[in-house]
Amino acid sequence: MGDAIRRKIRDARDEMVEALYPIIGRTVIRAVSEAIRDLARAVDAQMRASLSPQTLWRRLKARIKGVPSAEVALREALPFQVNEVFLIHRETGLLLRHISCDPEASPDSDLISGMLTAIRDFAQDAFGRGQEGELNAIQYGERRIMIEAARHAYLAVVVDGIEPPGFRAEMRERIIDIEHAYEKTLRNYDGDPMPLAPAEASLRSLLTAGQPRALSPAQKCVMTGMLSLVVICLAMFCLSGRWVWQVMHRIPTPLPVAVEPTFTAIPPSTPTATLSPTPTVPPSPTPTLTPTPAATASATPTPVIGLMLGNVWIRTEPAAASPRLGLILEQGQSVEILAVFGDWCQVRWAPQAQVEVVGWVPVKWVGTIDPIPAQIITPMPGS
Amino acid sequence: MISIAKKVCLLGDLAVGKTSLVSRFVYNLFDDKYVSTIGVKVSRKTVIIPRAGDIVELTMMLWNLAGNEEFDRVRASYLRGAAGAVLVCDLTRPETLDSLQVYADDLLSINPNARLALAANKRDLTDQQRLTQEQEVEMHFRHLGQLLAA
Repeated sequence: MGDAIRRKIRDARDEMVEALYPIIGRTVIRAVSEAIRDLARAVDAQMRASLSPQTLWRRLKARIKGVPSAEVALREALPFQVNEVFLIHRETGLLLRHISCDPEASPDSDLISGMLTAIRDFAQDAFGRGQEGELNAIQYGERRIMIEAARHAYLAVVVDGIEPPGFRAEMRERIIDIEHAYEKTLRNYDGDPMPLAPAEASLRSLLTAGQPRALSPAQKCVMTGMLSLVVICLAMFCLSGRWVWQVMHRIPTPLPVAVEPTFTAIPPSTPTATLSPTPTVPPSPTPTLTPTPAATASATPTPVIGLMLGNVWIRTEPAAASPRLGLILEQGQSVEILAVFGDWCQVRWAPQAQVEVVGWVPVKWVGTIDPIPAQIITPMPGS
Repeated sequence: MISIAKKVCLLGDLAVGKTSLVSRFVYNLFDDKYVSTIGVKVSRKTVIIPRAGDIVELTMMLWNLAGNEEFDRVRASYLRGAAGAVLVCDLTRPETLDSLQVYADDLLSINPNARLALAANKRDLTDQQRLTQEQEVEMHFRHLGQLLAA
């Protein structure tokens, strides 16, 4: 029966193809469709994550290299997984370390390492006569064993799919590091793998090599640099804004001087003394009382000095609803207290030479070392 | 307990019974079918042995090397790093004892410190046994030992 089929296939190949196509063709089409659908899903997932830092970085790299980002996304969508990592002594074929992503991996890893070594030796003898080079990969179905050797040991990594660029270089880096770190142990290997146990951490990183990972050191440097630049720019912007604001507010404008309410506390020699058109305080329930401290203020020879405890707007009247003078008394500014009316304090200070400003601020923002003399405090009605 | 692993080779002419010996030793089964190897087959056997007041778990990686002439060239590669070897001969074929010297020389030229053990196989095939006299076998082994010592 088998011979008859073989003979028939040999003699009438086209006929056989036509006969089998409805069965095999459909199966092949289904398999290919499924594979393409999987790929499309993977590409779609990549595109959906297009705002992640990794994707942005990838796009930037693609732009720099001149590769279309769609091709990069397609490449990223190809599956890749590291299943097992073997660290094998080159001369004896003895297994030094084995790491697997599957906790129930085959317990015969030492036999595999022996057979792998035998296969490498065989390939070297069979094909490498007088030539430099070694067996560096074995393909078995979808699975591949990638081999990277150093002088006394070699790494065999079992992978599925297509490895990302740089993966082999990473393998080489690992095996060279191990070779350098354990050169003496490997050269005189006595069969005890315990001294090589610390190398496991280094090998474990290969297991995650194909998965999306955190930014590389170079990427981190660039990101940190950009972030620092943004922070510096922001800080400079804030500082310059503050400086501009300070400059703008330190220059007294004619407006507050013109509208400042004056009381008799201002000495007659000051230029502002003549600019007092309205001594009354409209919103205050006792507007007519405000002039009264003037007489007492003028009687006190020593000025009462206070210190501003915060940045406070100066107002024309001793009331929160009264208009602002357009100036802010800054924290730490020394002022002369002219009068106290309720919760408000009339102060005077000179922002510049030959310029004095008089206005009202809440008394809670003015600190004094000595108690405020009673003669400048205007008693409130009912108090 | 200390765990160590060693590479041990099985050497001998074609069909002396190396593979069967490994099967018997490692898997505790005996298959009378001849299993041809493709040049080498690796098996594992773990034994517990006392050493210097401690217990050592010794894992022997048994490299069963084919005795076919076609693998003569590649055999040298397989011998690298072997801590020892079991030299196997067939009592029904005296010429297999003579070859052991060559195998021993090959191994010792690559690994001068390797330990050797001799195994005379197929003792049960009394009807075919051509080396019936134990003294004769012993003489061969002694002779081999002298050569190795020299």
